[in-house]
Amino acid sequence: MAVNIQDDHKLNDFYNPNVLINLGPSHPAMHGTLRVMCRVNGETIEDANCEIGYLHRGIEKLGEDKTYHQWMVYTDRLNYCSALNNNMAYAMAVENIMNITITDRCMWIRMICMELSRIIDHIICVAINALDLGAMTVFWLLYHWREEAYTMIESMCGMRLTTTYARIGGLSYDLPDNFVARMEKFCKEFPKALEEVEGLLTSNRIWIDRTKGVGIINAADAMKYSITGPCLRAAGVDVDLRRDRPYYAYTDVDFDVVVGSNGDVYDRYLIRLEEMKQSTRILQQCIRKLPAGPIFVDDKRVNIPDKLEVYTKMEVLIHHFKIFMEGVKVPPGEAYTCVEGPNGELGFYIVSRGGPKAWRMRVKSPSFMLFQGFEASVKGGKIPDAVAHLGSVNIIAGELDR
Amino acid sequence: MRTNSVAPGAAYLAAQEALTARLNEKYLTDRKVDLDKLNEPVIWAKNPTDAKMLVKSFRIDPAFAMDFLSDITAYDNVDQVDGDQRFVLVYQLYSVTKHVRVRIKCLLGEHEQAETLTDLWPGANWLEREVFDMFGITFRGHPNLRRIMMDERFSGHPLRKEYPIKQREPFRDNIRFHLGANPLEVSTDIKDGPATEPTELAKELYRPQGEK
Repeated sequence: MAVNIQDDHKLNDFYNPNVLINLGPSHPAMHGTLRVMCRVNGETIEDANCEIGYLHRGIEKLGEDKTYHQWMVYTDRLNYCSALNNNMAYAMAVENIMNITITDRCMWIRMICMELSRIIDHIICVAINALDLGAMTVFWLLYHWREEAYTMIESMCGMRLTTTYARIGGLSYDLPDNFVARMEKFCKEFPKALEEVEGLLTSNRIWIDRTKGVGIINAADAMKYSITGPCLRAAGVDVDLRRDRPYYAYTDVDFDVVVGSNGDVYDRYLIRLEEMKQSTRILQQCIRKLPAGPIFVDDKRVNIPDKLEVYTKMEVLIHHFKIFMEGVKVPPGEAYTCVEGPNGELGFYIVSRGGPKAWRMRVKSPSFMLFQGFEASVKGGKIPDAVAHLGSVNIIAGELDR
Repeated sequence: MRTNSVAPGAAYLAAQEALTARLNEKYLTDRKVDLDKLNEPVIWAKNPTDAKMLVKSFRIDPAFAMDFLSDITAYDNVDQVDGDQRFVLVYQLYSVTKHVRVRIKCLLGEHEQAETLTDLWPGANWLEREVFDMFGITFRGHPNLRRIMMDERFSGHPLRKEYPIKQREPFRDNIRFHLGANPLEVSTDIKDGPATEPTELAKELYRPQGEK
């Protein structure tokens, strides 16, 4: 590419205010592999250009190559901070196409999973954002509870990060015996930690100076850039798919949708803090209402047989073999299923032509739109503010690049 | 019938039904409306211009108030199940006030151009870039149509059905650049053929799986 000599001269000029700076893709403050190329004047970012694709693994292409069950493990790697939420949303998408209604117990457990992963995701966002701005105590306080949550998840499905807990039509395991007691303890003690964090940050002069009026995404811009989730609510747009388009049993639980007004880093922090409290509230109701019964739907097309029967009965063995080797047969049709993920609307658009593999597997990820909005709103701010801004929108590279 | 993604007694269902009724009443003239597995309407536009016209009118029509662009995507229609054109372009629209969804689909030929939505929603920019990157569909009037996920030197469009899943495209500078042997020669021409021939060393290192 030909470079204009005059421009070239400008870039090399020490006293020229237009300096190019590359933030990322491998930098601790960039949360994964995000890259922002900035033209700075002093410390002010005058122009920015975001580059993505450093973590592109072709997950959508793999969705056309793997069977529906095999692809479940890839959903863990979308937003790896809230893998459970992705598992459940994906299972729901496939069940919609197959016209399966899951059992009540399964539904409530899935709601527990979704809210627990929302808490984890928000913990990561708030804690890391505070850490980026120098508030390390908050990080230690919150990460203790993240560990607690992960230990609970480990007791559910044997994994911590990449859970693969859902199965089409049910779940891989039922809840362990001591889970409810453990969750009750969590719901009782976790809000205390949140209060401590509030005491440390919410009226902290340094925190307010660093976050208030920084990284503003106002309501009009948020709508223009199709931003969803906490960032849209922080801008003052009252949207929450759990309330607006309720799925599972969200009509049966009480919770409040948190809406901000300024759309800055401070508002997003407040929203996330309050949403964690609301999620704890939902969790409390879920364990109170958790019904007994089977976790797997009684449907021959998807039902994974009991292991003991697989080892002793011929027909069951064949059935097991066909489900895992050939895959679940999904009828032709399409559906767009979305849930309110921790970062916003997480949608799976599946086009099926029939058979065990999808024809098109589209993941509508919230981070993709968030990063595009970030590119537009980072201009005019300072470099340290860009770090605060990026931390508060919580872009997860696995979901961004897919 | 109760499905998982619709809670019993959800308030938006009436609005969704009203939308489908109005769609049938006002927009059906020589267009086709399908219902998907969730009873959500899918309207087939006649051509790319018609698709954009539909998006615009859904945005203005107070019965729809589609003020939110959820998604732009496409899928390969190489088996011609949905029509005799190569691709299907998909717009997902959502109404923040009415909580209803509508999907607009449009058949596209292999060399046909789609219309950009960046003038309506600037957020369409990256979504259209992704569709271009993955399928090779170009958008008329797009301000910055270039690859987004894949490298600029990449050739081909990965989500087309003919693109093999285990294809690898090593770039010449993978090895040499780091050794400092040659100055970097980057081809920005992404339209035709592989941009660079893989070197022997690169072939050695990036051998496709299963090949001896």
